[in-house]
Amino acid sequence: MHIPDGFLATPVWAALDITAAPAVGYLARRAQRGLQQSKVPLLGVMGAFVFAAQMINFPVGLGTSGHLVGAALLAYTLGPAAAGVVLTAILTVQALVFQDGGVLALGANVTNMAIMGMLAGYLPFHLWGTGRWRRQAIFLGGFLSVLTSAVLALSELLLSGVAMPAAVLRISFGLFAVSAVLEGAITLAIMQALESINPDFVRKPQLNGGRVLGGVGLAAMFLAVVGVAFASTHPDGIWKLAGETGIASHAKALLAAPLADYQLDVLHSIWLRKAGAGLAGVTLIYGACILCGRLLARQRGA
Amino acid sequence: MHHVVLDRWSRGASVIHRRDARAKTVATLMFLVALATAHRSFLTVGLGYFAILVAVMIAARLPLGAALARAAVVLPFTAVFAVISLAAGEPLAAMALVEKSYLSALAVLVLLSTTPLPELLHGLEHMGVPRYLLMVVQFLYRYLFVISEEAQHMRAAAQAKSASMRRVLFDRSKFGAAAGALGVLFARSYAHADGIHQAMLARGFQDRFRTLSRHAFRRADAVFVMAAVVLLAGARFFAEVWI
Repeated sequence: MHIPDGFLATPVWAALDITAAPAVGYLARRAQRGLQQSKVPLLGVMGAFVFAAQMINFPVGLGTSGHLVGAALLAYTLGPAAAGVVLTAILTVQALVFQDGGVLALGANVTNMAIMGMLAGYLPFHLWGTGRWRRQAIFLGGFLSVLTSAVLALSELLLSGVAMPAAVLRISFGLFAVSAVLEGAITLAIMQALESINPDFVRKPQLNGGRVLGGVGLAAMFLAVVGVAFASTHPDGIWKLAGETGIASHAKALLAAPLADYQLDVLHSIWLRKAGAGLAGVTLIYGACILCGRLLARQRGA
Repeated sequence: MHHVVLDRWSRGASVIHRRDARAKTVATLMFLVALATAHRSFLTVGLGYFAILVAVMIAARLPLGAALARAAVVLPFTAVFAVISLAAGEPLAAMALVEKSYLSALAVLVLLSTTPLPELLHGLEHMGVPRYLLMVVQFLYRYLFVISEEAQHMRAAAQAKSASMRRVLFDRSKFGAAAGALGVLFARSYAHADGIHQAMLARGFQDRFRTLSRHAFRRADAVFVMAAVVLLAGARFFAEVWI
């Protein structure tokens, strides 16, 4: 789901642009350092491959078909940093040339898909990619990459005050869950095909410790997804939370003691509340980014 | 394929085409921000901004009807949310969604159809976007059509062998066949990339793309940016005062 311009509230898109820019810069530097120079054409051509792959339909039954999204597949074959760069390039071309997704909303789309979705897809493979649960890990990665992107996009729209009643939220969550299962199945099938053509296409995850931290991250992600699934069946709560008080109310509860008198005035205006909500969300995402980055960096270095 | 249309449009020689890519990028970003932050007065601001875009398109001698129709590709997605907003009793929000998403898409379309993509990316490089990312974008755009054509050939071949999607039941072997096709496409793309790199090295590629144009930010470009500031801010100001 590519968010066009005009959907996100100013604090949300601005904050996500500010988040995405250094993250992409970091990924680009990592990718540049980690790969030989000959990989520059490779990354571009792989981006073109993901575009073209959407022309090949996968029969699902009942006369319907789906296609590859590709975030997890790219992370398995090129590594997470290069995959992030390729996905960012894809989103940029889509926003500029195909009017698919906005330019101001590019930061949001990059954060949802190229960074968070890609990392969520890579994590299971990183943890269990060599062991007995390899197939399950690959499937789970594809599943999580789509679901994470979708949940982030939905929550950004909710934070921005786009009207989404209970029924709509439930239906869209169901649809996203189905397409996430499909992505998992397609990713697994392609990975098996790739390995039978040339096993070198797939990167070997190097795992030297850090399994616990990774497991905690995965558990946190599961909790978040389950939480949203639960919240979408009781959307009045989430609606109230996002529309009226935002995550700012959480911050309010957390910071109640030191800021007791101060914040009532500050959080008075709606705009500031929304901005606070956006910033709190972004801080959370940014923290998660840094954590994942550290995790990957440490394991690469070890 | 319709993307070629943008490439053709962007090779014009009008006043707008001749402006520096950086000037046009900055003007487009200002347009998007001014539009996105309009709240109370978004309807009047939108009308004024639409007029500005149409004026730019006329000055750039773009085919008006075709450009307006191309920007409408955002509307199906927007329409879903607009209908939901309408049903939720927020007609103003629905109108804001349609107007803002359409005008934003149109603005980006005008930028891309008056600036060739390599020029635009070169300008972005001067503005501090990492060159590595921009090179990947450029390779992606260049080989998009090559790899897509290959995918189309594979699809045509599969259809010629009477592969059909019209099955009620999920068919595991057909799913596997599609995965195999993509695996082959992946392997071919990989080989392509290798060949491309060898060819580039043979022609003396040294880590960066060069363009023929001179990329000078002239006085006319500064005037263009100034005019954009005055027009955009003026339209916004009038709309806010009138309401």
